[in-house]
Amino acid sequence: MRRLPTGLLFALPALIVLLALIAYPVVYTGILSVTDGSGAFTGTENFRDVLSARMTPRAFTNTLWWVGGSIIFQVILGTAAAILLNQEFPGRGIVRAIAVIPWVVPGIVAATTWAWMFHTEFGIINYMLTGPGLMDEPVGWLTNPDTVMPAMIAINVWKLFPFVAIMVLAGLQSIPKDLYEAARVDGASFWEETRYITLPQVRPVLIAVTLLLVIWALNHVTTIYAITKGGPANLTLITPIQIFRLGFESFQFNQAAALSVIFFVIAMVIVALYIRFLASSGEVAR
Amino acid sequence: MTQIQRFASRLAFGASALAFITTTASAGEITWWTPNFNEARARELLTRFQTEHPDVTVNLEITTTNGLPERILTTLQSGAAPDLIDVQHPWVNNYAQNGLVIPLDDVLEAREDYNEAALDYVTWDDQLWGIPYRIEAIAVLYNRGHFAAAGLDPDSPPKTWDELLTTARTLTEAGHSGFAITGGGEVGNTIFRSLPFVWMNGGDLLSEDGTTAVINSPEAVEAVKFWTDMYVEHGVSPTSTLENDGTANRRLFIADQVSMYQSGQFDIASIQTENPNIDIGAMMTPHPEGGEPAAILGGWSWVVPTTAENPEDAKTLIRWLAQPENMGFFTDTFPARTSAMELPRFDDPMLQVFGEMLPYGRPLPTHPQYAQMAQAYFDGIQRILIGEQTAQEAMDLAAEDIQALLDQ
Repeated sequence: MRRLPTGLLFALPALIVLLALIAYPVVYTGILSVTDGSGAFTGTENFRDVLSARMTPRAFTNTLWWVGGSIIFQVILGTAAAILLNQEFPGRGIVRAIAVIPWVVPGIVAATTWAWMFHTEFGIINYMLTGPGLMDEPVGWLTNPDTVMPAMIAINVWKLFPFVAIMVLAGLQSIPKDLYEAARVDGASFWEETRYITLPQVRPVLIAVTLLLVIWALNHVTTIYAITKGGPANLTLITPIQIFRLGFESFQFNQAAALSVIFFVIAMVIVALYIRFLASSGEVAR
Repeated sequence: MTQIQRFASRLAFGASALAFITTTASAGEITWWTPNFNEARARELLTRFQTEHPDVTVNLEITTTNGLPERILTTLQSGAAPDLIDVQHPWVNNYAQNGLVIPLDDVLEAREDYNEAALDYVTWDDQLWGIPYRIEAIAVLYNRGHFAAAGLDPDSPPKTWDELLTTARTLTEAGHSGFAITGGGEVGNTIFRSLPFVWMNGGDLLSEDGTTAVINSPEAVEAVKFWTDMYVEHGVSPTSTLENDGTANRRLFIADQVSMYQSGQFDIASIQTENPNIDIGAMMTPHPEGGEPAAILGGWSWVVPTTAENPEDAKTLIRWLAQPENMGFFTDTFPARTSAMELPRFDDPMLQVFGEMLPYGRPLPTHPQYAQMAQAYFDGIQRILIGEQTAQEAMDLAAEDIQALLDQ
């Protein structure tokens, strides 16, 4: 009789816990998505119901805007902040600490605070704009179809760019000083150093961070749900919120599970494409 | 004895001791779940109940309204439910259809003394599945000072839709938002405030037999248009309408920015504390010319779960609590029995209007997919408010969505 490898025995308790906490809910969601409330098998009915709902395509489009808009600005702003924080200047430690604050604030606190700041009547943003006469009329930031999604994205960027900055800063500090010294000997400017040394050196960090940001933006619920609940008229409804509403507001757990399965597949494809595309360019150590 | 055997025997002893405790607990003992806002009054009533019924012991457990529907559903399905639970009227029908609660026809005394709509809520299959004890309806609160300043008579508030609109415009010209509607927050806020306008005009969400969506009928669309035009066309509702729920409107009223808004009696106390300068008036919800007011009836009922260990003693407690003087003492707003309304605590001129709204209260539809239908209707209202669609287009789409849910 072959004995189980000792290593496996040691890993077994952790594996069982992982299976119970991850595999079981995933499988159970799959089962829920093809059954009805009483547990009877219904095939693709839940999928058809959920795909035929008017809000589903709108939520998908909104999700793309939300993820795309958030990522681009988070990465650009975060990298820029990291490069600035990497410079030598008096009070750098304090500035670095302050820059992290948005990331440390609990999501629900940040969302509620922003909701009040954006409020049409009581909000400080409209107060500052109309007070000195920059604008005549208060702007309905959270109710105007043109501003509500950008406002949500702005909050998400504000919340997470410090995370990008910290990660990129760590990457920057691991760049050997010799590279910069050699460049300076050759007469490189700050912009040339950034373009030819800094960015290529932190690229692996950026790729990993962007992947995390994509995943986080795809499952994000807090900010939007706390502020608009997906409204007005579903303008900020993203798919995770639609799933949440279906499950926990309408108690349609089977349809919610079906939508989760669809969304899971789409998210997997996006992430797989991303890794594949970057891996093929030979930059990521697998 | 090995260690494992010893452990097993201890476990067995523990289990039997536990079983012993639960069985003895059921003899003459009941568990009652009531929300936190009822706690003080429930304890006071129970002391009196205990002296009259020394053989029954009541364990009070306090619930909170946040997450309560989920908690109750879980306990009803777990097979270890308490003996008596306070629930909101609209939840009862679903419990009845799923066999989670028992009929209470034998508990009800003086049927004609109860509010008709409240009994409708808790009736299914010609049987009564809950005993309503608390009812309430929304009316309109207004700032009497604003009325006087705008040259209007605070003692004769608008009665019809036309008068409402004229008054709202006059008040808006005087520098306030004349009539605030809601367009944000939880779906229920806007349902409770706009659907009565549809009812007053002869429309409804679903047809009488509950099989067809009729929210795009001419009467319904006209009412929805009238209500949303307060913001879209006439601008008498604040700029922030789309982000306002009932609470936000109350804040604007307290901040002296809104002159009239739809609300329940539950707002009066906080307005009086936060801005004592406001002279508050209350009016019945204005109705179309020749029609009558309408409101969605809200409130709470008692139910006895199917898995209750001691349903008989729970029924005894309900019979005692439902006595007019006890019910009138217990309710946070109004009692479901007309005779209990004669208690001195309801003899308050401020409450009078809210009491007069009660006979016009109607139940909400009790379809299992109601939550999604309400969302479809609310999305339609928001599409009108952001200017994306006309009332007709928005309600056509809402009717289509609701019909799809009915046909599922």
